[in-house]
Amino acid sequence: MKFAFFLGCVIPVKYPGFEKATREVMAALDIELVDLPFSCCPAPTNMKLAHYDSWLALAARNLCLAEEAGLPIMAICNGCINTLKEVNLILKQDPQRRLQVNEALEGSGHQFKGSIEVKHLLDILQKDVGLERIAERVRHPLQGLRIGCHYGCHLYRPPRLMYPDDLSEASSYVPVSMDHILAALGASPTQYSRKFLCCGSALGTNIDAQPANEITREKLQHMKKHRIEAVAVACPSCFTQFDRGQMMLERKYHDGFGLPSLFISQLLGLAFGLDRSTLGLGDHRISLNPILDRI
Amino acid sequence: MIKSIWELFNKEDLFECYQCARCTGSCPAAMAMNSYGPREILLRCLNLGQEAVIGDERVWYCTTCNVCEDRCPQEINIPELLTAIFNLAAQRGNLPEKIKFGVDMIAKTGRSLIVNDKVLKERQKLSLPALDPLNIDEIEGILKKTGLNEIIELS
Repeated sequence: MKFAFFLGCVIPVKYPGFEKATREVMAALDIELVDLPFSCCPAPTNMKLAHYDSWLALAARNLCLAEEAGLPIMAICNGCINTLKEVNLILKQDPQRRLQVNEALEGSGHQFKGSIEVKHLLDILQKDVGLERIAERVRHPLQGLRIGCHYGCHLYRPPRLMYPDDLSEASSYVPVSMDHILAALGASPTQYSRKFLCCGSALGTNIDAQPANEITREKLQHMKKHRIEAVAVACPSCFTQFDRGQMMLERKYHDGFGLPSLFISQLLGLAFGLDRSTLGLGDHRISLNPILDRI
Repeated sequence: MIKSIWELFNKEDLFECYQCARCTGSCPAAMAMNSYGPREILLRCLNLGQEAVIGDERVWYCTTCNVCEDRCPQEINIPELLTAIFNLAAQRGNLPEKIKFGVDMIAKTGRSLIVNDKVLKERQKLSLPALDPLNIDEIEGILKKTGLNEIIELS
């Protein structure tokens, strides 16, 4: 299996350790990743809101790069997956929009053809690699750690665009991939109230961090109530909320949550027994020691 | 250049709203900011028209989580309405500084965050590929054609 690796902006700049962990984990699963000169996706939290047509065209350019390389895209950030999947679907289905975008792309030498798929790491792990193969690769099971999954809104909302083939009869959808992956790694994925509440990130990055952190706090309180020991995320912006945001909340409220959060690739790397120095474990503000000691 | 949000959103759809407030009740931004709520924005659009909302800075409190669309019993595409409002607001100069900064960065470098020496060194330490500068002429060419200069200055 081979994918064009869509890094996005946040991970390679703010959390390069997550990128390293992802590369190591995918190598361990015999998946080849190819780097292409992608730009910002661009984000559904800034460019799309400010200028829709520019959002559409720049996303189309990224899709074209992968099309020209003949590769499906793997994204590891919810903003990226939201933009790329939505634009890919719009341009595949709407000839008017495609015409308009291809006109904007003309001078760049790219033309959108609609020949590739875009997938998030979680879906590649669950569907393409498969839970059995993941379980086979485990060397240090996660010891029944009570992990709470936070999927992040942009991964699956709106489901009619993100998971059109998986809708229930009531046209709804909630993701389960991360819970299954963690179970395959030997953890105990643990349910909690408000599991599908937003982390608050965009309010923080666009307007003000304080109210955004209040939303994160609501989630942390429920996680604590359900005796969750760590949070698993699949998006760098959600991670910022649960890690940096939690640190800021601690200064204000002294809740003492001490709830470490990990990017999904880090948990895979730990369970696979990969060299811990390649897993970006130094990128955290909330100490990982309580769980690292157990694995 | 858009003149009205109704170019991007079908006004007829708004008449489906019976103000049940499930959107506002589910909204994380409304939870954190008392003065914000999708139901209220819909109502103002309907009763007072677009001018009542596009100059209001509070519309930008939205976290873009899309839960309002998920839960609307009338299946109104509320995020699409909000995106139309944001786009027109941005054109009229009602654009939060932080978003403007991000859009500006994308237009100038292709990335929304700054890649400095510290970042490059850190990546080198981890033996990660360097983040080479992108073909900015190509990217800017596209953004000029799509009219991004309606909201920010392009070179």
